[in-house]
Amino acid sequence: MFEKIDFVGGWKLYFSLSAVLLLAGVVAIALGGLNFGIDFRGGAQFTVANAERHLSDEQVRAALPEDLAGESVVTTMGQNGYEVRTPVISSQQEQSQVRDSLSRAFGGEVSVTTVSPAFGQQLRNQALQAVVAALIIIVAFISFRFEFAFALAAMAALVHDILMTVGFYAIVGREVSLVTVVAVLTVLGYSIYDTIIIFDRIRENAPTVGYNRRRFDEMINRSIRQVVRRSIYTSIFTLIPITALLIFGEATLSDFAFALLVGIVAGTYSSIFIASPVLSLYKAWRAGKLQAARST
Amino acid sequence: MVSRRNNLIVLALVVVLLGVAAYFIFIDEPVTKSTQLGLDLQGGVSAQLKGSQTGGGKVTRQEMEQSADLIRQRIDRLGVSEPDVRVQSENQIVVQIPGVKNPEEVIRIIGSTAQLGFYQVLASDPSLTEAPQVVAAEEVDKTEEDIRANLQDDDAYKEGRTKILFEETPSPDGKGTSVIGYIVHKNPDLTGDALKQNGANVEFDQTTGKRIVSLELTSEGGRQMGELTQNMLADAAASGEPARLAIALDQDIQSAPTVQEPLGQNISISNDGLPNGLPEDEAKQLETVLNTGALPVNMQVISETTVGPTLGFSSLKSGLLASVVGFGLVLLLLLVIYRALGVVADVALLIYAFLLWGLIVIIPITVTLPGIAGIVLSIGVAADANVVIFERIKEEIRRGKTPRSAIQAGYDKGYRAILDGNITTLITAFILFALSSGSVRGFAVLLAIGVVLSMFTAIVITRALLGLLSDRGIHLSPAMMGVSKASISAAQQARAK
Repeated sequence: MFEKIDFVGGWKLYFSLSAVLLLAGVVAIALGGLNFGIDFRGGAQFTVANAERHLSDEQVRAALPEDLAGESVVTTMGQNGYEVRTPVISSQQEQSQVRDSLSRAFGGEVSVTTVSPAFGQQLRNQALQAVVAALIIIVAFISFRFEFAFALAAMAALVHDILMTVGFYAIVGREVSLVTVVAVLTVLGYSIYDTIIIFDRIRENAPTVGYNRRRFDEMINRSIRQVVRRSIYTSIFTLIPITALLIFGEATLSDFAFALLVGIVAGTYSSIFIASPVLSLYKAWRAGKLQAARST
Repeated sequence: MVSRRNNLIVLALVVVLLGVAAYFIFIDEPVTKSTQLGLDLQGGVSAQLKGSQTGGGKVTRQEMEQSADLIRQRIDRLGVSEPDVRVQSENQIVVQIPGVKNPEEVIRIIGSTAQLGFYQVLASDPSLTEAPQVVAAEEVDKTEEDIRANLQDDDAYKEGRTKILFEETPSPDGKGTSVIGYIVHKNPDLTGDALKQNGANVEFDQTTGKRIVSLELTSEGGRQMGELTQNMLADAAASGEPARLAIALDQDIQSAPTVQEPLGQNISISNDGLPNGLPEDEAKQLETVLNTGALPVNMQVISETTVGPTLGFSSLKSGLLASVVGFGLVLLLLLVIYRALGVVADVALLIYAFLLWGLIVIIPITVTLPGIAGIVLSIGVAADANVVIFERIKEEIRRGKTPRSAIQAGYDKGYRAILDGNITTLITAFILFALSSGSVRGFAVLLAIGVVLSMFTAIVITRALLGLLSDRGIHLSPAMMGVSKASISAAQQARAK
């Protein structure tokens, strides 16, 4: 399969393809495209299930106290579900009033989630810590099992996947919640797994002595051809249940599935078209430096 | 033949495991009860509270444990079933209560520090002598600001030595809230220590018939109360204003009766403005928090989730539907791609799914919404372990090996890649577990268990099944494993070059 494709030699094309998408993502982030949910900002979210009446945005706002109405966001979920997000509500009493009035207006059951801004801050810090810790530990693990060049290449692929997922979120404008971070971390684990399967084959095929760029690149190409089918199958096998989650799952599950979908596609792409060329380029650069050192 | 016997032994053990799982899932308890569902799937309240010292000092683990204990007692007194109260990280408490009708009230009760304080009223909002201000709920904050500004000009107000507290009560017509502001000393003149154990009781006033909460003080407390009220009466006689005793819980005044004569061990919190006295639930709350005593630290609700049973059920339904559809499609695709090998993989995956369910019941793990996501993801991981090995086997067959030796070689070579790959997924799961809380942990736990179990099924069960399949009695053609003749010859040609 893919006999004609030069996975290593075509790196300029693959890198620029990614670069264009990443740039679009970065621009979207810079333009404030990331829509942080109450998990990170603090605030309250009222979820209406089994609503008997369909209300317009205006009607929902009318049911809210004046000071909240202006800054609230109303979204529909499924056929008779609604979600109303408001800024932080100061007292339990007021929260209970909002809940009651929404319940009266919609004629359905109302569930509430509130997060204080301080806790949102804490969640945000924890999330960042988790991502950084995961990156460091995984690189250490690969350096230990393989060699540093492989770890560096894997790292490049990981950063690519994270940026791609976050960028896509900014472009689409979906809400970023705690679940999104969990999904990103899962993508990390998945992408590294994919990369390792390819690297494992490269390691197996690598000659024990001597480095020759042409031979090494050919060997990488051969290794990728040997495992690319597995990479694609695995992506499909993982994407099937995730797509089912995206379609059938509600709220949290569908958010989670969306992030995974983007991340896993990016992860499969990056293990083949980013990690492997980076490995080749780094090896070539090292060899060039060593040679330069030897010749002087 | 030795290997055949080994394979049979392995499969017999798997059957035993399946039996154990089936026992715990279906027989030990009815199936609807055996699997523990999280609050996001069955409905309920969960809240995270953060403890802090008034002065900003450090909160000790012991104080947190003590607070958790008191919170548990308060919930028990409310008659709510099976609360789960845990201390998390150094200064947080997580409270989870399934199926509650009035979540806001419960949270108010568990979160209030419940520091009882008695204060001499130094001055009050002038409107007290006339009718108190009645305002709509959302204007309470603004009204209090106005009253505060007003009272700060009063002679009795001395910055640093006094403070202003408010009494908020529903007005008799039920349409608004009446707000009264009081100037009192910064520290309570008498604290909750004066209250006798279980000294608070909901009662009805013998003369008026209104609902009150009676407070019985210790003898020492009674003596101090006598002294305090005596002084207050003396002050009142000098100024001509009536003496008022404010009874406050935390920073909210519950009641501020006028004192006619020195009080002793028995006093009461009442509301003379309402026709029936204190509202029933409010009286009950007061009794509960006063009798369990004050929390050793201040508690602040930092996050709260209330899920109604309808929403929970619909989440559960959609999660299960997604899992089943996803799982079914994965099984189907494995069959299409790998034919005979696919049958083996499907059997292994079904065993995997059933054992995973068994583990969830036996350990037990509470299944939450993110947990379902973890399970769905682990289906992909489990399928993948088979894919890696099968692709290896097919590769070996293309090189002209017999099915039997191809299976052997495929395992030996695929094993290492699976191990490395799964370890990285485990690392992610552990990091998620260590650095997060609540629902995310459910995801991490299920993902980790799924990964370990999927390695077990791929390496032990799939292998034993394939071993039997490749036995001499059964002939497997390459086509039956999804390898076409063309690809075999292509591979051979490629090698010949």
